[in-house]
Amino acid sequence: MSAEDKQVFYEEIEITDDLTLPKLFVRQCRKFGSEKVAMREKEFGIWRPITWTQYLENVKHITLGLISIGMVPGDKVIMIGDNRPQALWTEMAAMCGGGVGVWLFQDCLMDEVKYIVDHSDSKFYVAEGQEEVDKALSIKDECPKLEKIIWDDPKGLRHYDDPMLISLKEVMRLGREKEKEDPGLFERMVGLPTGKDVCLLFYTSGTTSVPKGVLLTHYNMLTMGQNLMKVDPCKPTDDFVSYLPFAWIGEQMMSISCGLQVGFTINFPEEPETAQENVREIGPHVMFAPPRLYEQYTRTVQVKHLDASWLKRKIFEWSMKIGYHTAELKFEKKPVPAHWQLLRWLGEQACYKKIRDHLGLSKVRHAYTGGAAMGPDHFRFFHAIGVNLKQIYGSTEISGISVVHRDNDIKFDTVGTPLPGTEVQITETDEIISKSSSVFMGYYKMPEETEKTLRDGWLYSGDTGFMDEDGHLVVFDRTKDIMILNDGRKFAPQFLEARLKFSPYIKDALVVGHEKPYVIAIVCIDYNTVGKWAEDHGINYTSYTELAQDSHTYGLVESAVAEVNRTLPEPAKIIRFANLFKEFDADDDELTRTRKIRRAFVENRYQDIIKALYTDIDMVHIETAITYEDGREVQIKTDLKLKDVSQGGKK
Amino acid sequence: MSYLPCGTYFESYGADHQWWRTSFIKGKMVLMLVVMAVFPYLVDPQWLSVAYTVNYYILAALGVQLLIGYCGQITLGHAAFVAVGAYCSAYMMLPQHFPWPQWIVDAGLAYPISMVCAGILAGLWSVLFGLPSARVKGFYLIMTTMAAQWITVPLVITQYVAQIGGRGQAFSLPEGTFRIGPVLIDSDTKIYYLSAILVCLCLLAMGNILRSRLGRAWIAIRDNDIAAETMGVNIVAYKLYAFFVSGFFAGIAGAFYISTLSFISPEHYEWFFSLLWVGIILIGGVGSIQGIVFGSVFVVMVFKLLEMGVMWSSGALMDSYPALGWITTKIIFFKEAAFGLAIIFFLTYEPNGISYRYWQLKNYFNLWPFSYTGK
Repeated sequence: MSAEDKQVFYEEIEITDDLTLPKLFVRQCRKFGSEKVAMREKEFGIWRPITWTQYLENVKHITLGLISIGMVPGDKVIMIGDNRPQALWTEMAAMCGGGVGVWLFQDCLMDEVKYIVDHSDSKFYVAEGQEEVDKALSIKDECPKLEKIIWDDPKGLRHYDDPMLISLKEVMRLGREKEKEDPGLFERMVGLPTGKDVCLLFYTSGTTSVPKGVLLTHYNMLTMGQNLMKVDPCKPTDDFVSYLPFAWIGEQMMSISCGLQVGFTINFPEEPETAQENVREIGPHVMFAPPRLYEQYTRTVQVKHLDASWLKRKIFEWSMKIGYHTAELKFEKKPVPAHWQLLRWLGEQACYKKIRDHLGLSKVRHAYTGGAAMGPDHFRFFHAIGVNLKQIYGSTEISGISVVHRDNDIKFDTVGTPLPGTEVQITETDEIISKSSSVFMGYYKMPEETEKTLRDGWLYSGDTGFMDEDGHLVVFDRTKDIMILNDGRKFAPQFLEARLKFSPYIKDALVVGHEKPYVIAIVCIDYNTVGKWAEDHGINYTSYTELAQDSHTYGLVESAVAEVNRTLPEPAKIIRFANLFKEFDADDDELTRTRKIRRAFVENRYQDIIKALYTDIDMVHIETAITYEDGREVQIKTDLKLKDVSQGGKK
Repeated sequence: MSYLPCGTYFESYGADHQWWRTSFIKGKMVLMLVVMAVFPYLVDPQWLSVAYTVNYYILAALGVQLLIGYCGQITLGHAAFVAVGAYCSAYMMLPQHFPWPQWIVDAGLAYPISMVCAGILAGLWSVLFGLPSARVKGFYLIMTTMAAQWITVPLVITQYVAQIGGRGQAFSLPEGTFRIGPVLIDSDTKIYYLSAILVCLCLLAMGNILRSRLGRAWIAIRDNDIAAETMGVNIVAYKLYAFFVSGFFAGIAGAFYISTLSFISPEHYEWFFSLLWVGIILIGGVGSIQGIVFGSVFVVMVFKLLEMGVMWSSGALMDSYPALGWITTKIIFFKEAAFGLAIIFFLTYEPNGISYRYWQLKNYFNLWPFSYTGK
């Protein structure tokens, strides 16, 4: 084994009431010093390292700078921007100064920004560049508590002279001056808060209502990380790539809760667009991503496979057969016979190794997915190619996750067993409730909501589910979304959607059928893959809408739907579908910022199509509005084809 | 773009610009060096002369590749500069022409020093004929470089330089002339090792020059000389540097080659060789360092195999039908014809040369089990 494998896993820290993230941060910086790389950022083609000593210096100067421009303990610092070292520094600095960090999704529309800035009472707004500064400037009059807008990237900001603006460099300069004036200030500030103080305020995306601010304490965040690391320990030599929004609890959990405790290196991609490429360069040891990302991986593999030459295709197909079979045995916890082990070894050499290499998953020890349901096909695929993909279940209210699969105990229809120190129970109404040291303090300025969610220390999730015979938690769809056909037969829409999304040509789908005679689907095609398919088949198109409405495309989607129908019980078969003229988009409120579908909203928005799908007509006229990121609205008028699925059942 | 496996990243430009960036490539290169080192013990001695001929062609074609493949200056007179190097080295080693202090001769430094001087003289001679490149391009430059060949070899060398000492055109070099330090170059094995070391050093030098300011300027001139000039590249100066470096490599090649023959004669530097080396880079791949190696191996092996084939078939013919012996005198010329056919074949079917095929082969496995990267 290599030296790396001999390296001990991290030493578990003792979490006391007094321990805070900043205290741990200072301790870890002193421990690792300038020998170890805390983070890397890809800039101008190389991965520039930042050591723990530099990390500490930068955070110290930002903290002191914030203090000199008026931050006092308890102040909220709101941050918006890409994942970059500076973003993590400011977040850490806000906490070191006794403040509370708040994150915004970078693509938030103006209204959302205004609501969160105003609701969180933020005093400082840390923007990455011009785009984020513009958002702040246009809402500052409506958010009177906002005092300073701090920016980092000067591009385009030369002629901005608003007195509220100040650069991060300037803040750091003020910090250095402050340090000369009062050298012990930083240490004193870090020493002030205790573990029970709030460190982060998270706005949940909320599939149903306005965002709610979740108050998390240092203690919550620390125990969360520790409990996860007890299950799947990481090493200080590990690499992690941070490219999903910091406003998502999953990213915070890895970068802050786990990252700080273990001391692994956090890597930041060059640009959001190059993230996949950069992930491949680093080859992270641990990753946590929503299902969407893994779905994208399988789509990529399927499409590339179709385009490969004959020999490569055949070897891929044989290897995958072996992979699926052995993965299946593993799921069933049956021993793998020696000849299958040999075949699997051959498959590993001939195929899986290279696929993992292409996807950047060569070194992954644990890959997690959570936040939404993921289809079993995707799960099987990743285990077939030897990626240890695990489902997790959790929420922002529990500082990240509470339930996870254990190694060699993976069932793709469950989300695993509770973390150490976490109790999960099912109420009489089948609601999942949990209790642990990571459960949040309450919603910010929403006492009624808090009371509803937090009762006697139990977190009421609003999800339903049950515990299976192995003690695994099974989560149903959100309570309100359970679907029953009007003849009383049940089916799981999210499961169907996940199955549909395994087709490389389908990016998104909405399955409807609640209190209806049969199941129908609204499908969003994948523009890239279907576009390529169309080019290969000589089909002309000029836009997404035209491609989606092409009769050949309908044929393609129909065969994908029929393929899904083949394995489904009679009531769940999809009888009719329509290709939507656009993709679901968070800017149209169809998806949450973490890209979960807002079912009720979407059903309402496309009710005309749904209604038409339950009639015999094969064309429906649609007029609707789409919103661009800058807030402009455009009216769309189009005719939408509706199609029966020929195989797979009758109406 | 080179393909790097997952998990390969660099924290500094130094690491990013290394030649051998992954352990796989390092292993491959070390393996190649080991094979080169044990080669004489693996094969029949007749293959040693094949191997050093390959190496000689590599050294000679290096300068051609530099001019054509990296600076865009087509040359058809490279044998002239090899000849200059060969004669320079030869005369510098003969005691009657060059009175070395005895300690240098004793230390075995005469040959190495003469080799460097040969390189410099050939380089300067090359610059002289590179001067027209300031004014002319393309076909016209081909003509001027051909002029270099005809002025240098038949006239200057045959009529004047070779006559020095009054031994006639061709003369032999006495035994014991070729010494490097304590080692006397007197066997095929030693010649092979000398050639292998020279090839490694010269390829290393060439590779490094190409990724320096100088190399980047040459490539800019090759791609578009007007654009290069607008970017501030002094075209004339850099073209002349290219001619100098190219001539320098040719001089080294020439100085090396006399050690394999132990005599020297203008007929080894005929115009055919200038053409041959251009052919080598066309076959191997224009603008590729590996291409020089591939091309040289290919050409030498084709000649060698044809020679073996001709020898065997004419032998068999003579044994069975002695009356048909006249045919054997005809098929000897198949060798040159085969070279011509190879060039036609490559220009038609693989204009990018063997190195491109090699790149495709590597890519085939790098992309496995897909056929392209990206989305």
